[in-house]
Amino acid sequence: MSNISIFCFFASYLVAFALELSRLLKRTTISRTVMLLFGTAGLVAHTFYLFEQSAKQNLPPLLSSTHDWMLVLAWVVILFYLFMTTFDRDLAVGLFLLPLVLLFVGAAYFVNDSPNAMIATRESAIQKWAMLHATLLMFGIAGVVWGIVCSLMYLVQHRRLKQQQTLQQGLTLPSLPRLARWNRWSVMVSIPLLTLGMLTGVGLGLYAKGGAATMSFTDPVIMVNGSVWLVMVGFFIWLWRTDRPAGKQVAWLTMWAFGFLLVTLIGLQVLTGGHAAMSVSQPDGSQLVIGVPTIEEC
Amino acid sequence: MQVQVVYCSHQTAGLNVRERLAFSSPEQIQHAYDDFRGRFPASEIVVVSTCNRVEIYTAQEAAEDPPTQVQIVQFFSDFHQIPLEDFVDDLLARTGPDAVRHLFEVVSSLDSMVLGEPQIVSQVKSAYDLSRENGASGPLTNALFQGALHVSARVRSETRLAEGKVSIASVAVGDFGKSIFDRFDDKTVLIIGAGEMAEETLRYLQEEGTGEVFVVNRSPERAERLAKDCNAVVKPFDELDRWMREADIIVSTTGAERPIVDAARFRAVREGHANKPVFILDLGAPRDFDPAVADVDDNVFLYDIDHLEQTCERNRSARSKEVQAARVIIDEESRKFMQAIYHQATGPVIKRLREEWTEIREEEMQRLVAKLPDLEENAREEVERSLERIINKLLHPPLKALRDESAAGTPHGLVDALRRLFHLKD
Repeated sequence: MSNISIFCFFASYLVAFALELSRLLKRTTISRTVMLLFGTAGLVAHTFYLFEQSAKQNLPPLLSSTHDWMLVLAWVVILFYLFMTTFDRDLAVGLFLLPLVLLFVGAAYFVNDSPNAMIATRESAIQKWAMLHATLLMFGIAGVVWGIVCSLMYLVQHRRLKQQQTLQQGLTLPSLPRLARWNRWSVMVSIPLLTLGMLTGVGLGLYAKGGAATMSFTDPVIMVNGSVWLVMVGFFIWLWRTDRPAGKQVAWLTMWAFGFLLVTLIGLQVLTGGHAAMSVSQPDGSQLVIGVPTIEEC
Repeated sequence: MQVQVVYCSHQTAGLNVRERLAFSSPEQIQHAYDDFRGRFPASEIVVVSTCNRVEIYTAQEAAEDPPTQVQIVQFFSDFHQIPLEDFVDDLLARTGPDAVRHLFEVVSSLDSMVLGEPQIVSQVKSAYDLSRENGASGPLTNALFQGALHVSARVRSETRLAEGKVSIASVAVGDFGKSIFDRFDDKTVLIIGAGEMAEETLRYLQEEGTGEVFVVNRSPERAERLAKDCNAVVKPFDELDRWMREADIIVSTTGAERPIVDAARFRAVREGHANKPVFILDLGAPRDFDPAVADVDDNVFLYDIDHLEQTCERNRSARSKEVQAARVIIDEESRKFMQAIYHQATGPVIKRLREEWTEIREEEMQRLVAKLPDLEENAREEVERSLERIINKLLHPPLKALRDESAAGTPHGLVDALRRLFHLKD
């Protein structure tokens, strides 16, 4: 089990995605079965890898590092993909979800997997709050992922219907009203989760200020993510208050807002190597930068 | 086994002939079975009668006195009281493996007017059930029709012969309507014009369950007739804009020479309703809706007959490409079926041979036990098993020869030879 690396499940998901693509040309029961087998094999390897990481750092995967946090997010998305694909043999959701899974796993490879010193050394109350913070963010981002996928599916389906194109083999999508409903729910659920996640993150940051670790709220990473969050809240309020908004408009707005959030999240993590704007004072007076999965990184 | 079919279909006979030869009601079919069995008591019979074909299948085990094709044609003539010369040229006949292959093709929808249509399976199944209820079927037709249903299932699951919709109404509702709306039972339908296409499309929509249906037509009489058939409400033609605004689905088949709705008119209709999707099926030729209507807003989904026909044609062409794959399955299954039937005919000889040799084995065993009374139980069982193995080994070559010969037909020569060589009695 200790030989399992990110590459194992990345490769499995890549094969599953290739098989999803092949179903656009020819749909067979065999290809579907093999695709599900690769997806499941990847999930099993992914699970073992997370257990291994967790045991090594003696922290739950959500708290141990940004690297692990991103992998847990990918794990939730792949579980959702397998569930949807198993119960609806025609739905082409994998074509949209799997590239995002590959993106998360790929990005996780480039970010820091060093253990979170602050959480590992602090008391259990802090750990519990940090756990709540990371969980809220993770489910919030999962909602963002689902919102992007629903919007993409909506736009593809809308384009097909406007251009009078017949159903393409292997690209069966739900009806427009259903996609619009799913999209709306993804926004209505994910933005409150992200907001709560952010609030718990700010609380944790303020608390940490008094300890060995310090955090700068003027850090560019925090400021960019704070701005993105404000856009999200604006979008949420608009959607909440608008009576019967046009489905296509909602889909485009979701795509832009959630897409920007995701690009910012992944981009900043990769560019900073997964380091949060937090440092711990060393006995010799120097500052040690540590990774911590907070909303400030999102 | 003697199996044959005498038939006419949409490919061999016009509707005027098919409708005269058809067995249209269960009572008429019952009479036909009674009459046929009176004439040919040894024969099993199944009548398949649909709007596209009338077929009589007969099968019997004995080679003697099966109904000839001429007798079956005469039965058609007598039963329907039609002179032979009125239809005899429109009938075809097939026997043996060709008859089996024909049934397999029919039930797999290779011989249907709409290639790959699914109704034929239930029609053939109902025909066989009716034969069974009337006591006209038997073990041979049972095997034949069960085999046919199995072949149909294989063709449908292993090829794409039944995939893609091929009628304008089904493409419109299935491929497009169901992607625009989740459900139809809360949708208002507006029919503009009262043509046949509107009626057919409305029937498809009503199968999905529609809300209110309004008909608007220049001629109120035709509108009333369509409304009566389809449980709809007629509205005056000069209120067209109001009802277009109310409608979620618009089906138009006016036959007007120029478009009756242009973009400007429809834009006015959509004012304040731009977020409500509207599904427009313009089945008129020339078109009733100006193509620019599609661009009025993002929630207008306009389809004209050319778009729908192109989709149908693409699906028809995709189905045609699957015919060869379906024929491969049918050939394979026909061959297997005939081999099984031929092999079945050798059953009594095999059974008799095995019984005779088993008798010999038991006699020899008794003789041995009498001569060796001290033979232990274990040793006795071992000897018994050895004798059994010898018999099986000796039986293997003739049985294999019978099975191999069955591939080409009932091996009468080999069966006779076995009977004479081993003095087997029936």
